[in-house]
This record gives sequence, structure tokens and C-alpha cells, in this order.
Amino acid sequence: MKRLKSLLLTASILAAASMASALPGSAQSIPQNIPRKELLILENPEGTIKNAGWFNIWAINAGSQSNGLQQAALDTLWYIDPEKGLDGAWDNSLAAEKPVYNADFTEMRVKLRRGLFWSDGVEFSSADVKATVDLQIKFPNMRFSAVLANNVASVEAPDAETVIFKLKRPNSRFHANFTVRWGAIWILPKHVFEKVEDPTKFDFNKPVSLSAYTLNSFDPDGKWYIWQLREDWQRTSLGRFGKPGPKYLAYVDPGPPDKRVIAQLNHELDVIHDIAPEGMFTLAKQNKATKAWFDGFPYGHPDPTLASVVFNTQNEQLKNRDVRWALTLMIDVKRVMMAAYRGAATISAIAVPPTGVHPEAYHKPMEEWVKGYELDTGKSKIKPYDPGVGKQLADMLRPSMGEAIPSDPAVIANSFGLGWWKRDLKAAGELLERAGYRRQGNQWMTPDGKPFTVKLMVEGDLRPVMTRAGSMIVEQWKEAGVDARVDIAQGTLLTRRAAGDFDAFIGWSVETWGGHNDLSYFMDSWHSAFVAEPGKPQPLRNWQRWKHPELDKLIEQTRQIGFDDPKGIEIGKDYIKLMVNEMPIIPLMSYNVFTAMDHTYWTGFPTKSNPYANPVTNWGNSRYMFVRLKPAN
Amino acid sequence: MGDYIRYAMKRLGQFVLVVFIGVNLAYVITHATPIDPVEQSISASTSFGNAAPEAIAEMRRSLEELYGLKGSWSEQYLAFWSRVIRGDFGPSMSAFPTPVSSLIARAMPWTIGLLVTSTIITWALGNYLGALAGYHQRSRALKAFGLAAMGLHPVPYYIVALVLLIVFGYVWPILPISGGAAMNMPQGWNWPYVASVLKHSALPALSLILIGLGSWFLGMRSLVSNIITDDHVVYAEIGGVDRRRILRSYVMRNALAPQLTGLAMSLGGIFNGAVITEKVFGYPGVGTLLVDAVYAGDYGLVLGVTTVSIVGVSLGVLIIDLIYPLIDPRVQVD
Repeated sequence: MKRLKSLLLTASILAAASMASALPGSAQSIPQNIPRKELLILENPEGTIKNAGWFNIWAINAGSQSNGLQQAALDTLWYIDPEKGLDGAWDNSLAAEKPVYNADFTEMRVKLRRGLFWSDGVEFSSADVKATVDLQIKFPNMRFSAVLANNVASVEAPDAETVIFKLKRPNSRFHANFTVRWGAIWILPKHVFEKVEDPTKFDFNKPVSLSAYTLNSFDPDGKWYIWQLREDWQRTSLGRFGKPGPKYLAYVDPGPPDKRVIAQLNHELDVIHDIAPEGMFTLAKQNKATKAWFDGFPYGHPDPTLASVVFNTQNEQLKNRDVRWALTLMIDVKRVMMAAYRGAATISAIAVPPTGVHPEAYHKPMEEWVKGYELDTGKSKIKPYDPGVGKQLADMLRPSMGEAIPSDPAVIANSFGLGWWKRDLKAAGELLERAGYRRQGNQWMTPDGKPFTVKLMVEGDLRPVMTRAGSMIVEQWKEAGVDARVDIAQGTLLTRRAAGDFDAFIGWSVETWGGHNDLSYFMDSWHSAFVAEPGKPQPLRNWQRWKHPELDKLIEQTRQIGFDDPKGIEIGKDYIKLMVNEMPIIPLMSYNVFTAMDHTYWTGFPTKSNPYANPVTNWGNSRYMFVRLKPAN
Repeated sequence: MGDYIRYAMKRLGQFVLVVFIGVNLAYVITHATPIDPVEQSISASTSFGNAAPEAIAEMRRSLEELYGLKGSWSEQYLAFWSRVIRGDFGPSMSAFPTPVSSLIARAMPWTIGLLVTSTIITWALGNYLGALAGYHQRSRALKAFGLAAMGLHPVPYYIVALVLLIVFGYVWPILPISGGAAMNMPQGWNWPYVASVLKHSALPALSLILIGLGSWFLGMRSLVSNIITDDHVVYAEIGGVDRRRILRSYVMRNALAPQLTGLAMSLGGIFNGAVITEKVFGYPGVGTLLVDAVYAGDYGLVLGVTTVSIVGVSLGVLIIDLIYPLIDPRVQVD
């Protein structure tokens, strides 16, 4: 027993000693030997990178993209910010001006900026742009090979500042490939890649950068990357906006949501990419220095991505528009919002995300049309739109969230959205009856006498917020007499989505620029020419496999006009009307990203009241944030 | 000696058979996954960028060729075995073109370092305290420890891990809560780096020890409780043999044999990694590698980690089978 006691005593002393020795270092999970006031720590949502030392972004799916590589080191011709931008949403980055097309959109001319340099001192020129295209066409297994080979007949660089793309067929949106929304085709350094025998096997380590930061160090186990401001940052495209505030950027994998919250409470993670709404509420309560996109509710930044119920319109039941509308009228979106985001999101009744410039271009101008929209159920004509849903949501949340909930109607509209479709089970029933369905007790039966079953696919704990929305919708469909079930796909969602192996899923097929009203970013791929036969893989992004002659007409009209042509908005409005009529997807809300920004060490982050950039850390455009950040006092 | 060699050869044959069946099962299961690695790669490469549908179709064709997914099932199966025999699992599809073996080799030292150390500490401490508790049944301190061990044993691991994380990472923030070592510190065999690794492994190791201690403690205590009533122990006590010698040579040695088997199985199993530990504490290792590979449909990587794990567990059992007759004369080799 004496030995046991001495063993326990020794263990206690050792434990205390180890704690004591640990004290000076505290719980620090921050880079060593870098002054904290010079360092901005951001989350890399890709997590731990398996092949950490791979920086060749032009190889397919090889390494990390949002470890700072695309935000801090790479550059391309143009950027469109999903918000207002530093000098407008459109930014000529490596290009000196907007793209110039010929009359039939078979040629695109680009004028480049001069005086920009790679981090190894070589001057950037049109030869780099030409090499980016030629190399990826020559090696067909590279990341952008297919899109370039499909579009480009030839690329010429007649002088150092001019690039001429000859296209294989008219494409008025070809520049979109070189325009950053989240990412784009990045320009590679010709002088590096021309010495490489096989670029698909080249790791590009250490990367030569074209933007304001260069690689300082990285973890071979893929947990962190540190980038350092170039001494010649003025010789980069970001230099136009002044000196970036942070001298160092650390992109780290902070782990699961709980740890992200702890890390920010400890001021060891300045920018969290995204957390669950509950995590955001905790941070807002416990850390006065934490700010989000909105000052108060709903906090998160609405991505230009529309969370929706996406129907498989090749499904026998769901190819009927009346059935799709009936399922829409069975939903109470307020309950969905509460379940998914605890109310912290912006609703949209129309198939355009309620973010960026879209509310002014589409939501507000279309409000009267939506209010007046009449739905014929076969037995009655109803006006299904309720313009007060956004306000009702704010009123519901005010008792529990207090002053965080705005009371100004304009702010409520911006924060929570305008209206949505009323839950109307009677009208839903009439639509189902018109489609040949019959009610038997509490259960709807299909025209061939079987229970009407819909399985709603969700990602499970890989995307908890959307999963909660899906579960609530299933519950409401069940209440209305549909044999609805949650279909948890986990990691198989991408495969099943492409294969069309679902009835409906919670996700999105509408993604837009946000900062520009052109809808071709997603719409062009919705052309009927690209809809796969049942059982065959469906290309991006028409996951609903929906085709309509009127939609084709709108897409073809868009292809014939320029990117900035005001006719584009009119076409967009026609698209919205068609989508309301047909309801191939049920629009729900913006995909809110709860990016939490700690103002303890840095101030000047973008917010709704100062929307100069998108703060979401993995977006290429988040680089604009660096030039506005200032050390906190 | 001839009997022992025959016994060893028989066990070796069983080892080869177990590995062969295990790897084949892993091959079939991984190839039956509904996740298509090509689709995962396309999504990762294009979901945030503008990509025309015809270009996607082209990319799909390229990826199938690149990942070696063309060819019949039998061709792919034979190619797989010819690579495995050479210790080559091919390139990872989700980290193309990095070889699977490089990814495993990078992650494995972290897993081995953390899990071997914590497994051995847990085993030694749990068994030692369990033996004492079984022998000195009236000790209050050991009774209290037994109660604590029993109380902690059924608590889910992630709860213990999260509590430690909150206590030592936030309430009393004295230990790092993420990573294998401090950021921006070059890896190498120098004291600052080693100290940093030890400090970063403190919380994950503590969580594994706290959760693992109970089962060894309880197992050993019940084994010892039975052994102390055996004739040879009673006779030794009556004969006035020193109690420490009785505990060490008469009780613990007999009780340790099954615990050694358990240790070998646990050590073999470390090649699976400790998925939750790695996730919660952001610790590098093969567990995270395996989970990420499953989600990405990266057959090659899943098979690589699984094969190493199958060989590890089987080898652990083989080694214990081979040394058992040497440490426990009651085991017959014929």
C-alpha cells in the first residue's frame, strides 16, 4: 500500500508539474514566433489537407484550394464580388478593362494590366494567360482542360498586354471562366510550368504567387498554412487598394464547431468560416468582440445560393406540376426556418437567392406580380402568396431574441426576406385531386391506387442545417397525408444527385454571382440539351432534370446578349415567372453562412452596413478584406 | 522444438489466410460503396466554378481513365493484388496523384505515437491498480478508485473528450486543444519540437487513458479476486510467503496471460486510428484519413488503411500466439 500511495503521490506531482510547465504557453493553438498583431487567423473549411504539400491547383482535385492559395496567392482576370466590392462588384484584376467581344461572340479580347509581378520577380504578361490555356488544352487531364478545350479554338498574345481568344462557337459568357465568384481559372506562371515535363504530376511547391501574399510555411500534416505579405505587394493587382493590414495570414483547421467557438472565445481564431446557428448565438452572447455580417439577427452572410427542395422531375409523380405545387402549399416556411436556422435566414419565394443585388433587381420589382399571382387548382382560384411572412418571422423571434430583432420594416425585409407561399392544405388537396390523386383516410393515394410516397434526401450530419430543414418539411408533408420519409444520404449525396437516384433533396441548383444580375451562371446549364436520360449522370447544375421549351428560349436569348445588357434582367424576370408557374424546385431561403469575425486583434471586417466584400473565408473574393483590415488598438 | 515449429507454421498459415480473406472482404465492401469517386472529384473541382455541361462529361471521361476505373472487374482485381504484394496501393483518388502509401506513412507515426503510448500506459496502470484492488480488497482508496472507474467506464468517449476540451481548453486554458504540435515550428528531433508534441498529445492521451483505464482495472480486479482463492495462493499465504511476492509472482503472473492477449489485440487495432479522438482534438492520424477517404469514395486509400489494419491486428494475434506457449506452460503446442 505504501508503494501505491507513493505512486499516486508521484503521479500527482508529475501532473501538477506538467500543468505548471504548460502554463506560460497557455492553450495557444496559434503560430509561434509571429507577433499576434501582425497575424490574421482564418478557418480553412476544407479541414485537414491530405496532401498538404501540393499547390498545383491546375491538377484535378489534388490539393487544397482554400488554404489561402486562391485567396492570397493566385489571381486571374476579373472578380465579381457577391456584395458591393471595394470599387463596385466588378473588379478588373489582372485585366485592365472588361472583356471585349466581337459581334457574334466568337472572339474575346482582353487588355491586361502592366507592372504586375510574380513573387519570384518575373513580370506577368499575356504569355502567362496564353500558357494557362495552351497547357491545359495540351494536357487533357488537368482541372480546366475540358472547359478550355471545348471553347477555345486558339489563343493569341500579340503583345505583352493583349490576349485574343478565338472561340469554337459563340459564347457571350466565356469570360465567366476567368471571373472569380468563389474561384475561377487561375493564371499560372509560364516560366515555371514550361520547365515541367508533366504538369499533372508537378506539386508546385513552393508556389510562386501573383497576388499579395507568398507562402511562409505549412504543416506537412495539413493542419495549417501561413502566408506572408510580399515586400513588393504594390506590384500585385491588390496593390491598387492600398497595403493589406495583416502581414501574416494563417489558414488553419480548427476542428469541429465546438472547438471553433472555443478558439474564438480564446481569441485564437479571428475568422470562423461557418458554424451552426447555436454556435453563432453563443459567440454573440459571450464574446463582445465577435461580429457577424448582420449586427444582430440573422447574423450570417447570405451566400448567393438558394437553398431549395429540388424535385427529380423525371420521377413519375413529380413530373406533374400540380403535384409539385401541392407539396409547396403543404409547407409552412416559418417552421422550416425555425428548425433549420432557428429563424436566422432570409426567405425567398422566387427562384433567385435573396442576396447581393438580387433583391433590388428581382425580389422587390417582382413583389407586386407575386402578390397578384393566381393559382388555379381546378376547383378554385387562389392567391397563394403571403407578403407578410418575413415580418411574421421577426415578430415570432422578438420575444426570445429581444433587441437583436430589427423593427424597421425595411431592415426586416433585408434580413428576413419579404413573403412566401401560404400553407393551404385545401388548395393542395384540390391540386392533387386534379392530378388524379384520391384521399383515403389520412393518406393521399396516387392515381394508380398506391400510397403517395416522397423520400426527401438530406446529407445528415454532414450538413446539419439543411438536414433539419428537410426533416421539418417531411413532418409537414406527413401531416398533410403524404407518406413522406427522410432519406439520409450522408456522403453519397453527390453521387446520387448526379445519378438522379432521389425523389427530392434539400440543396441547391440555383447559384448566382450575387453582385451581378446575370443569371446565366447557373441557368445556361439548365438547357434541355444537357438534361440526361433517366439513369444517366446529369451534368451540373440542373439536378431537377427539368426541361421546358420556354426555358430554352430564355437561355438562348441570354446567350445572344452581352453580360451587362439590361435585357438580361427582363429575361431573368421571365425566368422567375416560369419557375413560379412550374415549381420544379421549391425555393426556401438563402444559404446563410455564419462567418464570425473577432474584432479583438483586427477591425474593419465587411458587414451588411459596410458590404465591401464577402467575408466567407474560402471565397477567392475574401482577399479584398485584407486591404481594409486594421490592427485593433 | 519440432512441435513448436509445427505449431508456429500452423499459426503462420492461419495468419496468411486471415489477411487474404480480410483484404478480399475489404476489397468487395469498398467497391460496393454507392459513392462514385469520379463524381466526388468533379463536384470538388467544379461545384464552385462555372463549368459547361459538355466539359463536365469530358472531365468525367478523363477521371475514369486517370483513376484506372476502366477495364473489367477481374482486371481491376488482379491489378489490385499485384500492387498490394509490392506494397503499392496506387495513387489516392481524393489526393491525386499522391500515392496512398505516402499518405498512410505520413499519418501513421502520429497514430502509433499517441495510441501505443496511451494503450500501454492504460494497460499497465489499469492492470496494476486492478491487481492491487483485487488483492487488497479492504483498501478504501482502491475502492474509491474502483467506483470512479466503474462510473467513468460507461460514459461515451466523446463526452469525456469534450469535457476535457472545455475544462483545459477554455475554463482553465493550459493545454493546446488542436493539432499535433505548435504551428510554425519545424518538425525535427529537437527538444522544443518534442516538448510541443508531448504537450499537444496530453489531452488526447488523457482522454484515452481515462476511458480505457476502467475496463483493464475491472478485468484485472475480477481475475485477481478469483486467483487469490486458488490453492497455491492460499498455501503461500499460510506458508508465510511475502505478500508482495505473492501478488507479483503467484497472482499477477497468472492473471496477466489473458490481459496480454487483450493488449496485443489493442495494439494491433491501433492501425485503425482513433477517429473520434483525432476529430475532437484535431490530431493528425490515420483515423481521419480513413473517414475522409470513405466520404470521398477513395477506394485505394480506404483499402490501404484497411489492409494495414488487418495486417496489424492479425500480426498482433500471431505474435501473442507464438509467445504464449513460452510464457504460459499450460498452453499445449501440439
